[in-house]
Amino acid sequence: MKLITISIILFTFLFLRFFFFYQNPSHPKDGGYISFRTTLLSEPQVIGNYQRIYTTLDQKTKIFVFTSIYPEYHYGDVLIISGNLKYKVLSNGSHISSMNFPKIEAVKSSENYILAFISFIRQKIVLVYERSLPAKSASLLLGIVFGIKEAMPKEFSDNLKMTGVTHVIAASGMNVTLVGGFLSSILVFFVRRQIALFLSVIGILFYAVLSGLEPSIVRAAVMGIMAFSAQILGRQRIASYGLFVAGYSMLFILPSLLSDVGFQLSFISTLGLLYIRPLFERTDRAIKLLKSSIIGDETVTTISAQISTLPILLVNFGTYSLWSILTNVLVLWTIPILMILGGVGAILGIIIEPVGKLFLYLCLPLLIYFEIVINTFANYGGILKIENISWPIILGYYFILFSLVSVFKKK
Amino acid sequence: MKKSAVIVFLAIFLLGATAVFQYSKFYDGRLHLIFCDVGQGDAIFIRTPRGKNILIDAGPGDNVLSCLSNHTPFWERKISLAILTHPHNDHFAGFNQVLKRYEVSVFGMEKLENKTQGYKRLVQDINNNNIKINYLFAEDSFKTEDGLKIYIMAPNESFLAKTSPNNIIGETKEFSSLITKISYGSFHVILTGDSQVEELKEAVDSHNLSSVDVLQVPHHGSKTGLNSKILEVIKPKIAVISVGADNRYGHPTFYILNLLKDLSIKTYRTDLEGDVEIVSDRNSWLIQ
Repeated sequence: MKLITISIILFTFLFLRFFFFYQNPSHPKDGGYISFRTTLLSEPQVIGNYQRIYTTLDQKTKIFVFTSIYPEYHYGDVLIISGNLKYKVLSNGSHISSMNFPKIEAVKSSENYILAFISFIRQKIVLVYERSLPAKSASLLLGIVFGIKEAMPKEFSDNLKMTGVTHVIAASGMNVTLVGGFLSSILVFFVRRQIALFLSVIGILFYAVLSGLEPSIVRAAVMGIMAFSAQILGRQRIASYGLFVAGYSMLFILPSLLSDVGFQLSFISTLGLLYIRPLFERTDRAIKLLKSSIIGDETVTTISAQISTLPILLVNFGTYSLWSILTNVLVLWTIPILMILGGVGAILGIIIEPVGKLFLYLCLPLLIYFEIVINTFANYGGILKIENISWPIILGYYFILFSLVSVFKKK
Repeated sequence: MKKSAVIVFLAIFLLGATAVFQYSKFYDGRLHLIFCDVGQGDAIFIRTPRGKNILIDAGPGDNVLSCLSNHTPFWERKISLAILTHPHNDHFAGFNQVLKRYEVSVFGMEKLENKTQGYKRLVQDINNNNIKINYLFAEDSFKTEDGLKIYIMAPNESFLAKTSPNNIIGETKEFSSLITKISYGSFHVILTGDSQVEELKEAVDSHNLSSVDVLQVPHHGSKTGLNSKILEVIKPKIAVISVGADNRYGHPTFYILNLLKDLSIKTYRTDLEGDVEIVSDRNSWLIQ
């Protein structure tokens, strides 16, 4: 009873927040002149002769800014951008705003010391990776370890999309868990447990900013920090509450996230892991089987995440790779190994480059294996295309899923 | 702990296997000449029989990096000689990326300048990395210990002074570009950059050219780069065009493609075939 009351109150607040946020839809006019100040939270992409900067206006409107290749802008830079806005509605109903060669004034980014420092570290890590590994492998490892995507050749990122493994180059729950777990397990040797956990939380925050504060990483960081804080306070960790608190507070702060595909995927796939995955472990025999088989874990994880996100994938991308479960099973086991080797390589590489290089070299065989799997399956096709999927079907899908999960859970 | 030890040993073992495999692949004692697929632009990578790396132009963006890493072992980050045929963006912009990741010993280029930000940045990067600049003119040459010769056929100083007064090159018109002859044993290649008929004719007339195996079609197959007379003198066995798919200039032109067809010169294109790699052992050569 209490839970319902609290839920109703919370959702009323959220509703009010949404109401006020969207009350004055301020879609910028096509061709209108705007001038705004922004902090870059993703690295501009260099495409041929120009840079593409991704930023947002009033936290609501995504804008792609195209500008000449020099001067170079970087993650963390504070820019004042002035010019005419182009507004376009795409065929799938979403809209996109862009500015072509506006006036850009770089404000000293050093006014925010923490961001400037993280930006420096980020550039240094990218450089160490790119100096140590072949171009494609470096970009793949940057994606896996830090969710940094800007250096990836388009052909390869298309292949990742086609084979249904793009999620590995988005920093998310797995990364946060590994960062937190790795830091705390090392730190407990040196300091008291509570302090080790506290420092791990700082580490997670640092990592989240480093990887560009994407919705998936923020969600995971909030959850991870909650889990760790619960440990510091000596309480049991309750993952599903963590997920809801994370989702709720993110939506409250930034209602426009609701339509962000990354946010939707990250939230729903975590739900899938929390509720669908345990269904595979209902008997002792099943648990034993999963533990003893080499790739059993990856298989059920992938299946759970895919079942829960299938409609979102279809609505937003219109395609689904029939190979995706197989490709995921083939590559997912390498992720924790690559994250640890790549993470250690990055930290050491910042201090002593040759030592960092050695760890990055160790990643190379796995990265080559990863690339071969992706490129092979991308060539096989097997793409399911669905042009239109209507809302009743999606709702129906989730109702059926919800009821199935609750029935099986009770048994 | 046991599991992670297994993984670490496995990683070390696989790294060793990768190293052995790449060593035997990239130190095969033959010359490799690769026309990199960099989109609309030029980048030609040469790996000498004993593993020296030479890069002529670097294309318009970072595609050149994939080409370099696909044709060198992973531990090598040294380019002994980099040459820029002329300061236009589709030939030099990639050097910016290359210099960040590779150690370049010598940078050879025309004594020409370009007013753009990108070019200024390139010169700045070359200086910051303390790379030696060699200004190249006709008759300059480089030789490697393993028998590769790079010879500059054109332009000479007077041609450069005539076509680019005050050593400034404009953004749109191309007049002079380094024309180089690469020789290894009896294998000969002519690389042309963006050179035009006038310069190429001068280069061909002033040299005794016999048995050219590979000709790079000048200026991505633009109709102003080549004519039938020049082609009949050079008589290459094959031609290669560095060009981007669906480029806005309409390169390569029908005129040039027909010219090559009329003389039955087999033509390879980077927009259709990706990287075009030619391998030679001094006496013979083949397309790989």
